[in-house]
Amino acid sequence: MEMTGLLALAPLITVIATAILVVVVDMIRPGDDRAAGAVGVVGLLAALIMVVGIGADANPVLGGTYIRDPLTTLLDAIFIGVALLTILIAPAYLRPRGLPLGEYTATLLFAISGAMVIAGAKDLLILFLGLELLVLPGYMLAGYAKRDGYSTEGAIKYFLLGSFSSAIFLFGLAFTWGFTGTTSIADVAAAVGSLSSISAGLAMGLALLTVGVAFKIAAVPFHYWTPDAYQGSPTPVTGYLSVGPKVAAFALILRLFVEALGPLQGDIVNVVIILSTLTMTLGNLVAITQDNIKRMLAYSSIAHTGYMMVGLAAYGAAPAGSPAAEQGLQGLLFYTVAYAFMNMGAFAVVTALQGRPGVTSQISSFAGLGRRAPLAGAVMTLFLLSLTGIPPTAGFFAKALVILAAVEAGGWASVLAVIAVLNAAIAAFYYLRVVVYMYMREAPVDAKPLTDSWPMRLGLVVAAVGTLVLGILPGILLPSTDAAAQVLLLVP
Amino acid sequence: MSGLPILTLILLAPLLGALLIAFLPRHRHDLIRYVALGVALLAFVLSLALLASFDPAATGIGGFTFVESVPWIPAFGIEYTVGIDGISLVLVVLTTLLTWISILASFRPINERVKEYMISFLILEVGMLGVFMALDLFLFYVFWEIVLVPMYLIIGIWGGPNRIYATLKFVLYTLIGSLLMLVAILATAYAYQAATGSWDGAFDYLSLRGFGFDGTLQVAAFLAFFLAFAIKVPMWPFHTWLPDAHVEAPTAGSVILAGVLLKLGGYGFIRFALPLFPDAAQTFAPIIVVLSLVAIVYGAIVSIVQPDLKKLVAYSSGSHMGFVTLGLFVFQQQAMDGAVLQMVNHGLITGALFLCVGVIYERTHDRIIARMGGLAAKTPAYAAIFGFFMLASVGLPGLAGFVGEFLVFVGTFAVSPLAAAIAALVMVLGAVYLLWMFQRVAFGPMSDFLRNLGHHLSDLSRIEVMTLAPLATLTLIFGLFPGLLLDLIQGPVDSIIAGLAAGDAVALLPWR
Repeated sequence: MEMTGLLALAPLITVIATAILVVVVDMIRPGDDRAAGAVGVVGLLAALIMVVGIGADANPVLGGTYIRDPLTTLLDAIFIGVALLTILIAPAYLRPRGLPLGEYTATLLFAISGAMVIAGAKDLLILFLGLELLVLPGYMLAGYAKRDGYSTEGAIKYFLLGSFSSAIFLFGLAFTWGFTGTTSIADVAAAVGSLSSISAGLAMGLALLTVGVAFKIAAVPFHYWTPDAYQGSPTPVTGYLSVGPKVAAFALILRLFVEALGPLQGDIVNVVIILSTLTMTLGNLVAITQDNIKRMLAYSSIAHTGYMMVGLAAYGAAPAGSPAAEQGLQGLLFYTVAYAFMNMGAFAVVTALQGRPGVTSQISSFAGLGRRAPLAGAVMTLFLLSLTGIPPTAGFFAKALVILAAVEAGGWASVLAVIAVLNAAIAAFYYLRVVVYMYMREAPVDAKPLTDSWPMRLGLVVAAVGTLVLGILPGILLPSTDAAAQVLLLVP
Repeated sequence: MSGLPILTLILLAPLLGALLIAFLPRHRHDLIRYVALGVALLAFVLSLALLASFDPAATGIGGFTFVESVPWIPAFGIEYTVGIDGISLVLVVLTTLLTWISILASFRPINERVKEYMISFLILEVGMLGVFMALDLFLFYVFWEIVLVPMYLIIGIWGGPNRIYATLKFVLYTLIGSLLMLVAILATAYAYQAATGSWDGAFDYLSLRGFGFDGTLQVAAFLAFFLAFAIKVPMWPFHTWLPDAHVEAPTAGSVILAGVLLKLGGYGFIRFALPLFPDAAQTFAPIIVVLSLVAIVYGAIVSIVQPDLKKLVAYSSGSHMGFVTLGLFVFQQQAMDGAVLQMVNHGLITGALFLCVGVIYERTHDRIIARMGGLAAKTPAYAAIFGFFMLASVGLPGLAGFVGEFLVFVGTFAVSPLAAAIAALVMVLGAVYLLWMFQRVAFGPMSDFLRNLGHHLSDLSRIEVMTLAPLATLTLIFGLFPGLLLDLIQGPVDSIIAGLAAGDAVALLPWR
């Protein structure tokens, strides 16, 4: 292997090595949460520095199967950031429940390495490998609270539907391979691009891939596993599940549907528009009726899948290579970053609230939080406003970007833009309901104080600062998302 | 324009004030109150300095002076651009004035979570001022939405018993309108970008103003802007959030709601909807005129039967705001002058009326008209000033309320005597419900309810005099010398009318 290959893989190797190191540390000093957590955080920080320091290179490595281009850089940074936040907020929840942090950290790091494999995959098989490496630890994390019936139930549902969808997805990949004769993404793109019309077999493959991916991003009507898995999982895991695998699945979409199968965009754009409409609308409408904060945020995350798909729809509806197509992808990428900050932040507050065992996930447990814990209340309000899409927050600018792209794309995509904003108004109702509880209702007399630890504080601060800075100065992220989106359009 | 960035300073004063208060100890209520008041007064003084240095004759950049421009999101040509013309200026001063009055008026009534309250109020001021100053559509939208959150909290936390319903209704109504406006803003920006090939100036008000969008886009974008502004004004039939919000809001919230927030809608029409989409505006003008007339008549009729003092003022406020939209959409110079004057005067008078209602509510914790009576004997000063603003609201010549409505009336008459006649009818109805209300509240024998309050029913306190006196003075001054305002707004109004000149004003209303 040449030097550049090692360099390109360095962040990935670092994360995997850290995962193994955490296991070792956990064996040497069992039960020492601090050591395990510290090793995990340091390893991830090192990987993050490498991602930023190494930069991007246009040449694939490992025989053309892996690439560290600007898209990989951006996605890796998101994944590592999500993992960092997930580790920082976890002790406050795990420790009181007697759940070890070491295994948790190691499992999480393995999952993240899977996501990073997807981010840089230039081959269909590597893509699938990354996907499985991502989701298998995910099932374990979902069932991490072994003695909790809900956690086990959620994990089993997640596992069954997850493996089911992976199988469908793999079947789709097989069709694609059968009809293009290659697993290399660049070659698939070339083969598909030279087709004059789409054959029945390839269409079949496309349909299977779409369904498989729709499961992973939890698009309606393939979302049924989400609420149970999210509700049952330990809260920090729910935060991770709502962001990490979702962004990774979008990374998969970008590598597969945009990069490899981009020439077929016209054939699937209508499906994307319909799925996006269903996903946003159903997610939001059902979220209104939820009384459990984790279920509510689960449905809200389904709705956000829909908003992200607006960017994808804009890409599909716009003429190939047009500015609108580029903006659609850029909007999607910006949205994933904004979503990572604001959704992780919201789950961090829920985690802090549930630091004492016995605090339920009912929204009513937020009653009076604005007075009990003014700072937690304030940052939760910020995250909720960002999820609603109120300026000056990251969520607002993310929505504005995908909507702008949809308007540019024209046709049905611009109708989708209107549907998206009407959905944002519906969403305001249930997000603001939490604010109502926090500020406009009195706390119950037996309300328990929030757990307060510096990792939790740090996690909250990072998420809040990210949400606010990306809202006030979105320009600082745009060059990265722009470069990443350009990569996808340069495919021959 | 070089020199002191005074507009940014006016925006920064309340923003930094809010940050400062965030670091003050929570239990030091008086300290927080005085800091908030001081900051609001500082913004007011700065805006007065702006007024003093404003030259109505200066043309500036596209009619705007004190323009500051800093790139914000260069990738899309989005800039932090602020600037003012005469119309913005009077509304900026109105905002800074009503904000410190509202904060002062909250000293006594607000004793819970004073810190959060004052922060909300100052952030609200930033949003409102920003809307009046923004010359970049994206920036305008950001400020427009920033207004929403503090008002949501002010009604929802410090409001009446049904506050949560009222505040959610307020937010959801406003959001639906404004989000569609966001789509319209993005669509116009893209149309500009597609035509010029560059994002530079795609959100810039001055470059979009003369752009001339094609017909379909104009209609769609105008309708989206219209919905956002019509909900804010609010025009009939988009008004149903307003009575709820007013009734539940704390006194100062009502003052700002009626005094400034509703003006955001009127300002939006005059600044954005009319100049950006002149053709579509003319297409829809007849419908909007009809809606305005309905609002005027409906508001007045509903006011007559209101048993609740605050609801009565709220509905009458809706009726008077109908004159603003009527005056704007007959596309006639006097009418538009009148509409802008009406915005300012309505802000002063209705704001003051809500303060008056607050005074009685503070003492009785009740607002039902039927329980009042004979206040004039027990609290003569209060009755006198309440009566003064009541007469101003009726439209007594010599007071500010008369001038705006009269100009709208005259201007409308030139276009459509029928519409003018309907509008004039309402001046009569206004007299009916306001005078009747005042009679029931202030005259006659003192009601048992009030008598039972005993010494709790005191006359105006010093703070209340301090809040009402400036408004009364201005109501008198603008009533006697409307030229003071007209000189400021004449130039911008003329240029907006000129932009609409393509349409024949008289042919506008076929059924005149």
